[in-house]
Amino acid sequence: MADEEHHFEHKADSGASKTFPQQAGTIRKNAFIVIKSRPCKVVEVSTSKTGKHGHAKCHFVGIDIFTGKKLEDIVPSSHNCDVPEVTRTDYTLLDITDEGFVSLLSDKGDTMDHIRLPNDTALANQLKEGYSAGKELMVTVMSAMGEEQIAAVKDVGPK
Amino acid sequence: MVEVSAEAVATLRQRLLDQSLPMPKRYRALFSLRNCRGDAAREALVAALSDPSALLAHDCAFALGQMQDPGAMAPLQRTLEDRSVHAMVRHEAAEALGAIGQPECLPILRTFAEDSSKEVAETCQLALKRIEWREKCKNGGKKNCQSGGQQSPGPQDHDHEEQESESAAAGVERSPFLSVDPTPPAPDSLSTEELVSLLLDSSKDMFDRYRAMFRLRNRATPEAICGIASALEKDSSALLKHEVAYVLGQIQSDLAVQPLMAALADKGQHPMVRHEAAEALGAIASKDCVQLLESFSSDPEPVVAHSCEVALDVLHFESQEGAFQYADVAVQG
Repeated sequence: MADEEHHFEHKADSGASKTFPQQAGTIRKNAFIVIKSRPCKVVEVSTSKTGKHGHAKCHFVGIDIFTGKKLEDIVPSSHNCDVPEVTRTDYTLLDITDEGFVSLLSDKGDTMDHIRLPNDTALANQLKEGYSAGKELMVTVMSAMGEEQIAAVKDVGPK
Repeated sequence: MVEVSAEAVATLRQRLLDQSLPMPKRYRALFSLRNCRGDAAREALVAALSDPSALLAHDCAFALGQMQDPGAMAPLQRTLEDRSVHAMVRHEAAEALGAIGQPECLPILRTFAEDSSKEVAETCQLALKRIEWREKCKNGGKKNCQSGGQQSPGPQDHDHEEQESESAAAGVERSPFLSVDPTPPAPDSLSTEELVSLLLDSSKDMFDRYRAMFRLRNRATPEAICGIASALEKDSSALLKHEVAYVLGQIQSDLAVQPLMAALADKGQHPMVRHEAAEALGAIASKDCVQLLESFSSDPEPVVAHSCEVALDVLHFESQEGAFQYADVAVQG
């Protein structure tokens, strides 16, 4: 029963990690945007001068929230852009497997075993070292467009 | 709008006024100046109100209206009053006075509301209603304005963000395009079908027909776009049809390409309509209309011919990979 519930919730979560449309001209710095099918955080936005029909173009520079790669796009300000739904959820770290997966416990008491150690080596090391030292670690999992990744680690003291 | 150096404005002014330059180059200077803050940019556009090209002069009047600088009211009034000026320029001066929206323009707009030029008269009637509508909003609070009106009253510069925060403060709806429209959009509660029939009903008041059109533009669904475009063929008002062509250029949908091409090619249409159709085709930038625009670049009507040249320039700009700045204020050679 508990297992069933867990699966159901997991599905509902990925269903929510989609995108919604938003007019380009209203997207500001530090907001999220999809560029070349990747969820990005906007680090720079500039708007061109308006021509006869009131058209202006928005130039976005975004950083892929998972890979850190820089992406750029130019969109008419009146057009809609896809904006990713980005969620952050905190979990307690239970285990790190030899295969590089982590086992996480949600505040509802569910466990989750499909997340890998982050690509960010500093963050991954912080996790591994803290775990070996027997610290209690809280991790923040960021999810967007069906992808999930550990984005932050917090040491909440010894176990 | 942006602060631009005096030298850059002077260069743009020179380009705008230089009759030996090709029209597309003068047009880019025109719309660059439209984005510049300050008296020098405004005065450059005012100087071009008496240009021998009615096309260029009327778009200077248009740009002055979009800038909403009350300092342009006196020259625009003089343009409207002068019956020797091309009707298209007078019409645009009246529309610009409406866009600036100051109640002190009401008397002159009333004077020309029965002008012998139908386009000038109808534009004055629209401008009168726009100013009255805005005054009503100001006095009646936001509840009267829920159905539209993208700017709050006032002589401020209307940058994108400024406009947005002002309208948000007033609780009213902003145009998805950075344009100051001659009327607010009709209430969003009307169905697309109802809006199209209102737009096409010549027994209805022009102000309300315009409002229907702007709501359809903001909706921009295929049904709304085809509804707007159908007016090009079905309606008899040149004024309405020219605005129809303009909003189709704003929407930039390929669905409007065929009706706009037909309007440009139809020599029975008013030059004002053919001109707006050409410029809308430039904005939509469909490759299908390059040939047509090229062929009408030598139309005997200069307003049409020059519009086609300007449209081709816009089309080529829009077709470039990474095209960003049509009307740059960082002046290059």
